[in-house]
Amino acid sequence: MIKPVRRAAFFGLILASLVSGCAMQPPAPATPQNPAVAELLATASAETRAGRLPQAIAVLERALRIEPRNPLLWQELARVYLQRDDYRQAEQMAARSNSWVGSNRSLLAENWRIIGVAREERGDPAGARAAFERAAQLEHL
Amino acid sequence: MARKQKKKTSKKKGVLRRLAENRWFHLGLLAVFLVGAVFVAWLDYRVRDQFEGRRFALPARVYARPLELFPGARVSADTFIKELQQVGYREGLRGQQPGRFERRGDDFRLVTRPLTFWDGPQSSLSLQVSFGDHGVRELSGAAGPLNLVRLDPEYIGGIYPAHNEDRVLVRLDGVPKALVNALLAVEDRKFYLHRGIDPMGMTRALVSTLSGRGVQGGSTITQQLVKNFFLTPERTLRRKFTEVVMALLLEAHYEKNDILETYINEVYLGQDRNRAIHGFGLGAQFYFGEQLRNLSLAESALLVGMVKGPSWYDPHRQPERALKRRNLTLTLMRQQGFISDEQYLQASAAPLGVIDKPAMGTTRYPAFLDLVRRQLSRDYRDSDLQSEGLQIFTTLDPRVQAVAEHALTSRLNRLDSSPDQGLQGAVIVTDTQNGEVQALVGDRDPRFPGFNRALDSNRPVGSVLKPAIYLTALSDPSRYTLATLLDDEPLLWQEPGRPDWSPNNYDHKSHGQVPLWRALARSYNIAAARLGFDLGVPNVLDTARKLGVERDLPPYASTLLGAVALSPLEVAQLYQTLSSGGFRVPLRAIREVLTPEGKPLQRYPLAVEQVVDPASAYLVTAALQTVVEEGTARGLRSQLPEGLSVAGKTGTTDDMRDSWFAGYSGDRVAVVWNGFDDNRPTSLTGASGAMRVWGDLMSGLDAEPLSLPLPDTMELVWTEPVSGLRADSECPGAVELPFVRGSAPTEHAPCARSRGNWFKRLFR
Repeated sequence: MIKPVRRAAFFGLILASLVSGCAMQPPAPATPQNPAVAELLATASAETRAGRLPQAIAVLERALRIEPRNPLLWQELARVYLQRDDYRQAEQMAARSNSWVGSNRSLLAENWRIIGVAREERGDPAGARAAFERAAQLEHL
Repeated sequence: MARKQKKKTSKKKGVLRRLAENRWFHLGLLAVFLVGAVFVAWLDYRVRDQFEGRRFALPARVYARPLELFPGARVSADTFIKELQQVGYREGLRGQQPGRFERRGDDFRLVTRPLTFWDGPQSSLSLQVSFGDHGVRELSGAAGPLNLVRLDPEYIGGIYPAHNEDRVLVRLDGVPKALVNALLAVEDRKFYLHRGIDPMGMTRALVSTLSGRGVQGGSTITQQLVKNFFLTPERTLRRKFTEVVMALLLEAHYEKNDILETYINEVYLGQDRNRAIHGFGLGAQFYFGEQLRNLSLAESALLVGMVKGPSWYDPHRQPERALKRRNLTLTLMRQQGFISDEQYLQASAAPLGVIDKPAMGTTRYPAFLDLVRRQLSRDYRDSDLQSEGLQIFTTLDPRVQAVAEHALTSRLNRLDSSPDQGLQGAVIVTDTQNGEVQALVGDRDPRFPGFNRALDSNRPVGSVLKPAIYLTALSDPSRYTLATLLDDEPLLWQEPGRPDWSPNNYDHKSHGQVPLWRALARSYNIAAARLGFDLGVPNVLDTARKLGVERDLPPYASTLLGAVALSPLEVAQLYQTLSSGGFRVPLRAIREVLTPEGKPLQRYPLAVEQVVDPASAYLVTAALQTVVEEGTARGLRSQLPEGLSVAGKTGTTDDMRDSWFAGYSGDRVAVVWNGFDDNRPTSLTGASGAMRVWGDLMSGLDAEPLSLPLPDTMELVWTEPVSGLRADSECPGAVELPFVRGSAPTEHAPCARSRGNWFKRLFR
């Protein structure tokens, strides 16, 4: 009678450590610590300023291959898509960024602002308002 | 006798005279002349048309991903040297000559080749790379430390027309003088003097042939080009005549150097399995891993010597014969004053120097190239892919591919021991974040370009589809959580017009009330089917569609338990969406396409679409982790390195005809299928077949553990599995599970209730 209970407890512990392990994962850094990624981010900004948006996207994707969980890169990608008037991808990239942000409120707020702009441009004023409110909320917390 | 002869001659004269007076004869003569003129004009048209138009059809060249080097990159010194060899770098530096390297322990010096990618060029760099325990430690160039450098991507194959002719075009000014001189010395010493044919040479050849001293060439370079370029290889007098006329025409129209350059690009230099090596440019790469302009005198002489018979003088198979032929070429060069005695001695003493590259044929990765070709065919015509010389940069990671091939082949060899039953398999590995296909194996023999099971083998998926049911449930946290108790009591399903359906558990037992996560972990069929009916089959199929299954799934009860057939690629797409937190990322094999000159033509960008709420995706991933921790895939734990947490699902179909495993680590999704092509039972479950391949694969990849940040809309709560009630860490058997905030059970289990009261009392 006791044995199965202990077995269950054992698995319970594994499961607990597993799931809590997920929870304790520190949020990704907001600024790239890898010089390679920092360099690519700078290149992407330069390409964006020069209006070479496809190049900027290519460079950001290259950076994401090195740091796929860096919310800043996803956010930058969202911004470039916004400039390209590809509002659907802009919103999606910002949402993807959100899933890696963790607790960095200013990054979250910025993502929601991008989502707001994208929704507005796509003709979804209600959705846009909700997104902007979310951004404002995050900033005043 | 004499009279008779005389009579005959006079008769002949009479005939001739009469012929000369006959106007039909004149007309005939005129006709022959006209036909001849038309024939020559036609040849002239052909010569000019083909020579001036596109001279060569250039197959699209397909490349793997380039290796990214940066401080901290997870690349070991051994991996690096393999990569260098794969992309044809040669040992030993020669000044700034690109494509060479030197190794001292964990420190490398190399000169990279100049490259052009979609986002711009990268010039040739002198690099120093040092490796430490965790990958690249230091990276520097001539001017100091570098942040990031791309190595040349491995050439993985071409997209060829039917005859599989491959070449790399070169211009005459990129051809070493020594090679041109060797050509002149051996093939056509009067090339710059004659007008296309060399009557003396032809006479010599004719005499030699007629006198039985063997068939001799006697063809000029121009004639050889005409022969290779315009004519079939038969040896008839008529063809010889055509050849001579065309050679004269070619010379009449074009410069010597144009003809020589075309010859240099046309010449046949050997066979790499089913791929024909044409031109000295590709010859230099194929035999020496070198650009043509960098070839030494000895290397040039070897290639020129091989022209006479590339398979007879094959330096890999017939090194002695090839060496003799090379030295004969050098002797001729010395005799004709092209090289000095000293040069001759030095070059003829040099080793052959050919690189030992495994035969590749049109590609070493037929399954992956098949996927590339299919994705390209959405945007390009076959004829363009075969002739425009496009450069295709793909997502293949040769290191991952090698591990995947080895995992499948070695495991199947063990599972399918004597006598070999022909057990087959397929593997696909993708990146969890960007959907890039890193490896694809479609056959137990990964080099065999046959049936591509990764794409074309549609097989029942069994329990591999179950996450779609559970995701549908968990998307409604007000009704279902991981702790919700499901009913695993026997079930009989009756549907008008369909046979009665009564699913069974694998152990042929029913397990009463089981928590949802455990029902998935242990793959209970009855609980899953009941859950599917509660949710509605169409809703479950809708979830599968959202996850990326594009084909129509039959809306029958049996579909819930995976009676539906999918390809490994489709299953990978489904798990891809789960692995990236509910964002569907279309699987891609191509990054970008460039013109032969390196101009950007097209990109296949990363696209994401959130199709599932991140919280629900998180819950399914957590449940799929328990499959490995305590469920049907717990055997995987001992196979994986310590600390590598993964999520996955086994799949076994009726009578064990199919063995599946699909799952993901933090950085990679992998799907494995095992089974027989003729659908015979295998005696393998998902756990004893495909899962073993999957385990070998992930262990060999240095995979990143799966650890997703808990979304801020979620919390962790202890529950008691038996009752599904709220518990605490002290309760026996309690598990801590993630819940969408507000969805966790509120009622306490007895064990937690008592302590809770004690706790409350303490603070009262």
